[in-house]
Amino acid sequence: IPKMNKDAQMRATINQKLIETGERERLKELLRAKLIECGWKDQLKAHCKDVIKEKGLEHVTVDDLVAEITPKGRALVPDSVKKELLQRIRTFLAQHASL
Amino acid sequence: VSVLLFQAKSCICHMCGAHLNRLHSCLYCVFFGCFTKKHIHEHAKTKRHNLAIDLLYGGIYCFMCQDYIYDKDMEQIAKEEQRKAWKIQAFTPTVVSHYQCTMTGIGEKYSTWEPTKRELELLRHNPKRRKITTNCTIGLRGLINLGNTCFMNCIVQALTHTPLLRDFFLSDRHKCEMQSPSSCLVCEMSTLFQEFYSGHRSPHIPYRLLHLVWTHARHLAGYEQQDAHEFLIAALDVLHRHCKGDDNGKKANNPNHCNCIIDQIFTGGLQSDVTCQVCHGVSTTIDPFWDISLDLPGSSTPFWPLSPGSDGSVVNGESHVSGTTTLTDCLRRFTRPEHLGSSAKIKCSGCHSYQESTKQLTMKKLPIVACFHLKRFEHSAKLRRKITTYVSFPLELDMTPFMASSKESRMNGQYQQPTDSLNNDNKYSLFAVVNHQGTLESGHYTSFIRQHKDQWFKCDDAIITKASIKDVLDSEGYLLFYHKQFLEYE
Repeated sequence: IPKMNKDAQMRATINQKLIETGERERLKELLRAKLIECGWKDQLKAHCKDVIKEKGLEHVTVDDLVAEITPKGRALVPDSVKKELLQRIRTFLAQHASL
Repeated sequence: VSVLLFQAKSCICHMCGAHLNRLHSCLYCVFFGCFTKKHIHEHAKTKRHNLAIDLLYGGIYCFMCQDYIYDKDMEQIAKEEQRKAWKIQAFTPTVVSHYQCTMTGIGEKYSTWEPTKRELELLRHNPKRRKITTNCTIGLRGLINLGNTCFMNCIVQALTHTPLLRDFFLSDRHKCEMQSPSSCLVCEMSTLFQEFYSGHRSPHIPYRLLHLVWTHARHLAGYEQQDAHEFLIAALDVLHRHCKGDDNGKKANNPNHCNCIIDQIFTGGLQSDVTCQVCHGVSTTIDPFWDISLDLPGSSTPFWPLSPGSDGSVVNGESHVSGTTTLTDCLRRFTRPEHLGSSAKIKCSGCHSYQESTKQLTMKKLPIVACFHLKRFEHSAKLRRKITTYVSFPLELDMTPFMASSKESRMNGQYQQPTDSLNNDNKYSLFAVVNHQGTLESGHYTSFIRQHKDQWFKCDDAIITKASIKDVLDSEGYLLFYHKQFLEYE
């Protein structure tokens, strides 16, 4: 593994801690539930269908879809969901201050 | 934990060490690479390893086709491995979500429904489809009055609009265990649901239901007006018995251990604590219940004060406006400690003698559907009359203050937490109201039921009309049906 900069190193360490404690899974589940609840999943699903209709079923690749919906998906996440997840992560980091 | 540690340390890109960026694994050798940064693409090109698997979703990517490919055999293997992995994961603590079961190791992972051959056949032979839109009135149907049978009609309306019961019957979950299926009330209920959701708008004539009720609950037979509450209890009892194929009325099934749909939905546990005033020993019993009967002000037993030294705190968003009794007031009274008096001494096992005691009722286990019965019909030795005091009831109800666990925390001096959004288990929503108009001798029952999320309808035998929430909440209220807002797996 080549040298990573400090930021990437920190991210990797935090990620490891999240996985080890099972917190990552819990956060994923929380996020999944929230995104379904607020209709985000349905919105993006509809957008996917539109893209496929536009490009034609035979010509569209997964990469096309990813490229199309990623910016929209990121933009559509409600602020409240972002806040809540961030808060959870902050709390987690506070509890594992030894990092 | 060691598995998680391993995953944490090894699931990173071999080129840049990142764990994000759609990590893929080469299917020819041990190599993990980012998809977004094209690290896996580089690997594929240089090594001519043209197949890789997405570590998050398991999709197989072919670098020659430059897209994900779908191979039947691979899908089969993936499904099997997922199922196995799920079984292992189920033994570690996981979060309870709509898609998972808690750590019991049983149950399968949620997977989308796929029709079997037989189901496909049935779907082809029955091409008629019904689309449910927000405004459609499916599920609403009037009931013909067969001679003072409005008491039965109301209860039928409430039951056919109980979501869990509806789901149970419309998904054909009832397997008849009766010796003679023609006398099975559960089968008849099933037919009734089919009738209600058939889309027919003409009122239904429930003659078979009436006949079955007369056969199995003799005390309700005859054409005089009966009590809707009595009918509800009798109907639940017969349904509960017939679920187990019991034809003879022997109370063979202990409601504490029965798993029939009626018990799953309606049965709660009522805790009764009798405290000896001398040694303060508490004797506790828990009894099953299908409904809660609440005394009202104006009856021969005094209503106020609710409890010695009670405060006028705000509960469920209703403050005690003098004059208006609320459902919460009735529930507070129901769960108040009651001094049993010197003429009703209980034998205390601690003192080994008869002592004065106090008794208190609290909810041990809440049912999914809670039915509150406002005792409007007084049949004491002195008089028979109807109590018409208006009792206000809410659309949303939180049962937390009346739980046995809340009482225990209060007694232990724990600070009673304000109702926070995290404790969702005790929250209920109103979905049906049965009302009685008139006097004890002659009266008429009607009901309000809730359709979709916020639409209410008034059911007056064969006539169904749209109602406003205000109509519902302003009504007198005799039987109030509440449904739990959040359902958890056991």
